[in-house]
Amino acid sequence: MKHVLMGTALAAMAVTGAAAQEVSLGRFFGACEDAGTDTTTSTGEACIIQSIINAADAELDGITVNTLPTDWGNYYDQIVAAYAGGEPPDIHVMHRHRVPQFAGLGALAELSGDLEAAGIDVSDWAPAALDAVSHNGGIYGVPMDFHANLWHVNMEIMEAAGLVNDDGSPILPTSPAELLEHAAMVEDATGHDYLAADFAQFPIGVRLVLSLMWQQGENIFTEDGTATIDSEAARNAVTTITQLFDEGYADPQLNYADSQQAFLNGEAAVLVNGTWVVDFYAAEAANSDVALSDYHVADFPTLFDEGATWADSHMWAIPASLKRDDPETYAAALRVLAFINDHNIDWARTGHMAVRNSVLGSEAYAGLPHRDEYAGTAAIARDTPAAENYGAIQDVLNRELQAIWLTGKSIDDALSDAELEVQDLLDG
Amino acid sequence: MLNRSYYWLITALSIPAFLWLIPTIWMVSLSFQPNDVLARTTSTTAFGLIPIPFTADNYVALFGFGQTPLWFLNSAIVALGMTLGVLAVSTTAGYALARLEFPLKRSIMVLCLVGLMVPEQAVFIPLYTMFADLGWHNSYHALILPRMAVPIGVFLMMQFFRAIPKDIEEAARIDGVGWLQIFWYIMLPLARPAMMTLAILTFLYAWNDYLWPLVSAREPDRFTITLGLASIQSNFAQSEGLGRVMASGVIASLPVVILFLMFQRYVVRAMTAGGTKG
Amino acid sequence: MAMNQQRKGRGLSQTQAAAILLVPFLAVYGAFLVYPFFHGVWISLHDWNLLAVAFNPDAREFVGAENYIRTLWGRNIEWGPLASPVMQTVGVLGIGLAFFGFRAGRLSKATALALGIAGSLFVLLPGFHPGEDGRWYDRRFWPTVGNTITFVALAVPGVTITALILAAALDGETRAKAVLRTLFFLSQVLSVTVVTLIWQIMFSPRQGLIANLTEALGGSPIVWLTDQQFAMAAIVIATIWWSLGIAMILFLAGIQDISKDIYEAAAIDDATGVKAFWYITLPNLKRTITLVVVLQIILHFQVFGQSHLMTQGGPNDSTQVLVRYIYQTAFRDSELGKASAMAVFLFVIMGAFSLVQFIVGREEE
Repeated sequence: MKHVLMGTALAAMAVTGAAAQEVSLGRFFGACEDAGTDTTTSTGEACIIQSIINAADAELDGITVNTLPTDWGNYYDQIVAAYAGGEPPDIHVMHRHRVPQFAGLGALAELSGDLEAAGIDVSDWAPAALDAVSHNGGIYGVPMDFHANLWHVNMEIMEAAGLVNDDGSPILPTSPAELLEHAAMVEDATGHDYLAADFAQFPIGVRLVLSLMWQQGENIFTEDGTATIDSEAARNAVTTITQLFDEGYADPQLNYADSQQAFLNGEAAVLVNGTWVVDFYAAEAANSDVALSDYHVADFPTLFDEGATWADSHMWAIPASLKRDDPETYAAALRVLAFINDHNIDWARTGHMAVRNSVLGSEAYAGLPHRDEYAGTAAIARDTPAAENYGAIQDVLNRELQAIWLTGKSIDDALSDAELEVQDLLDG
Repeated sequence: MLNRSYYWLITALSIPAFLWLIPTIWMVSLSFQPNDVLARTTSTTAFGLIPIPFTADNYVALFGFGQTPLWFLNSAIVALGMTLGVLAVSTTAGYALARLEFPLKRSIMVLCLVGLMVPEQAVFIPLYTMFADLGWHNSYHALILPRMAVPIGVFLMMQFFRAIPKDIEEAARIDGVGWLQIFWYIMLPLARPAMMTLAILTFLYAWNDYLWPLVSAREPDRFTITLGLASIQSNFAQSEGLGRVMASGVIASLPVVILFLMFQRYVVRAMTAGGTKG
Repeated sequence: MAMNQQRKGRGLSQTQAAAILLVPFLAVYGAFLVYPFFHGVWISLHDWNLLAVAFNPDAREFVGAENYIRTLWGRNIEWGPLASPVMQTVGVLGIGLAFFGFRAGRLSKATALALGIAGSLFVLLPGFHPGEDGRWYDRRFWPTVGNTITFVALAVPGVTITALILAAALDGETRAKAVLRTLFFLSQVLSVTVVTLIWQIMFSPRQGLIANLTEALGGSPIVWLTDQQFAMAAIVIATIWWSLGIAMILFLAGIQDISKDIYEAAAIDDATGVKAFWYITLPNLKRTITLVVVLQIILHFQVFGQSHLMTQGGPNDSTQVLVRYIYQTAFRDSELGKASAMAVFLFVIMGAFSLVQFIVGREEE
């Protein structure tokens, strides 16, 4: 009803050109209340995206953008509930790994016919970006980035441990055994941990193990839906990490905030975290009050046979119901997406990888801080395998991995339990 | 009366009382410290309990841009609405069940008693689908109505009315006063202490309720403060500083705390009055 | 009937008045509790995907008790008297206590019966376990129930005992007592998100006040929220800090209902302070204590926010509680049918408990 009224109002006002079309926008990334409208100077995911949204709100005639809550923890639960309640936001961000779940049910609008008219050039998208938003031949969103796990490195510690190449880049391990060696060198030289990451809360540990399995050419389940977690590859991947815990070269009990804090405080040589914090850490390193001073970014090193690091994409989608029932708001929503698409370079400032060829090839992009240090990541980026209930699968893995490193559950038990449960989820 | 053991007691209790306050003091203190300092250490002065270095920036920012005031208003509307609603249905039904004789009384009482066993969290899923079908989500009444259906208030009031001596009522009956008038003019004024207890319980419940608003309220203009804060805190490590988050916590709490402090004297008096009712 | 007619002259009959007074409550009660409850049971008998049904109402399928079986049962489940020795021993002790307590006349019939039933359940339920090649269909469900019970078993006595002692100590008209009462009650008015916000950071091993203090004293900080041994304790501590106030107020009201004459009479016999508390306050507060305990159990069995916001159910599910599991099953996994089955289970547990309390409470009257 609201939409019908607004549509009528818009039709009436379109004549005078003074329409005020409200577009509600759902996103995570956290809140940034004083982001302003300058898209070129904001720092950090939350403030950069909010500045782009604020700019869209200010610059797009006749469109106001209403940003819905930015809570991370409940985001997908709330989006599901919103769809089920019949009132999803007009546009919302999501990960590519959720596309099968939402598009599979017909929740998302198929956009391919309308993108060009809205000023979004699909041919400018990198092939992998187009792939990320495609499902069964249709386009169900506008991609915004590729993001992947990186190694964030404190060069001061690496230098003390003698782990620096002549060109100033860090020497990173090429095998699990070497990883342990390097960790010992750091410990001997500085007394600090080699590696920090959130092993205790968010699924960063899962992403680590996934990467290490992929590096052995294995996956957590096959395309025909058979769980393959209780495997040699998984055992290798897990022991690669647990050996660090056993020797005291890493602390499994740190959560996201604590591991980040440890890294910024100069208490760990390496932090495994995503592309989304590069600009934030760079800014922190420039602050003389922060212990971390010589910050370097590196591609996730290859410890096994082939390069691989966990990756995903953020993308923007529009509900199918909006396209069907409310063409005016749908058109406005597309204009907002076009605006976000136009500001791909600003979003890339977070550290994320851009999705548009024209941006990827630009000097501005190449000139972003630390960008050249992880140029290889795009080539080794690997997606989580598509599954309709990936959220639940990831939860199982996170729980069982935590059981291994936090509560001393045996690796064999944890992996076989995880395989059973993931198989249940795959069988639906 | 005020002998030495009394002073001992007060002194002995002051220590746990202070410990009890520490988390709150800490929140307030952190909210007055600069974010970049907090990012490094939270214990600059006296374990962070004294806000030095001091800044009011967090509050300036909050009032400049935040949605906190709106969320607070929503919480107040929902909590007050729920309190009034619960009081209205509980006093009426409680009186009828305590004092009036009518057919099916026992069955209705048993029905309500059974309802006492139904935890709200056991019905939030069907409530969710029901409100979705009605298109009621994102509204104040969606946040208020489900709690009004919980029979605990009815039982509280019923037990209270039962304890009131029957002579007052009987005298009024002899004078020809109708049942509804007795309820309104005699029973309700007597029930003030019990109503106050029920009101406080309900208000606090409404203020603290998290699960149902989490499921039902989706648009930020219908967020309660509880919900709004949850959305801020889940990401504090990445976006806003610790000081800002704590400042929103303080802003969210301050009005209720003040309200409570003003209110409390009356609450205590009401309870004492209830105690001497005979 | 005759009475009603006799009173007609004075306005409404009792029945009419009762109807008017009852209708508002019964209307909301029927619409927002009774109907949803039965609707929930109905949903629990279906394979019902929240999202799929939203887009296609016919996407639900009647599956009978399958959701219950998938939640509560497993393959090759066996029963053994020694499957869970600790809990089963506790159960046997409970039965024994009920039997001999009743024989010796120390326990009333209903209390003994309730204790006996509870003891039998402790012997019976933990005895189930997967046999050879067997497994629970849902391996998380029973541990989640166990966590919830642990939480209740820690939080309820914690809150009740602390509140009772404080209420007894702080009963009185003096200004100092009033101030102290206020201080202890204050945290109760904070919303759950403020409480979890404060305590999340209090417990943080790097930024937390507790860690800072431990380090200043030369200890190494406890990683409260991500250590399996401490995570549950952490949310219990936060809960006690938060929810003490109402219990204290109820106890204060109860204490004020005790006639001052009794205390004065006792004072003559030199029973003051702790003695008076033990011999006068406690026995006279029996009903209030029962009320507070029941309220607390009902409240804390539904714990959600603390676990959801402070630990996300972790580490390794050790703080995963029933309501959070229901919420996740419904809104993360979209499995409304299974979530509703769990909700019905929650109702059965709480209902059984309320019933026992009701019988015990009635007997005391």
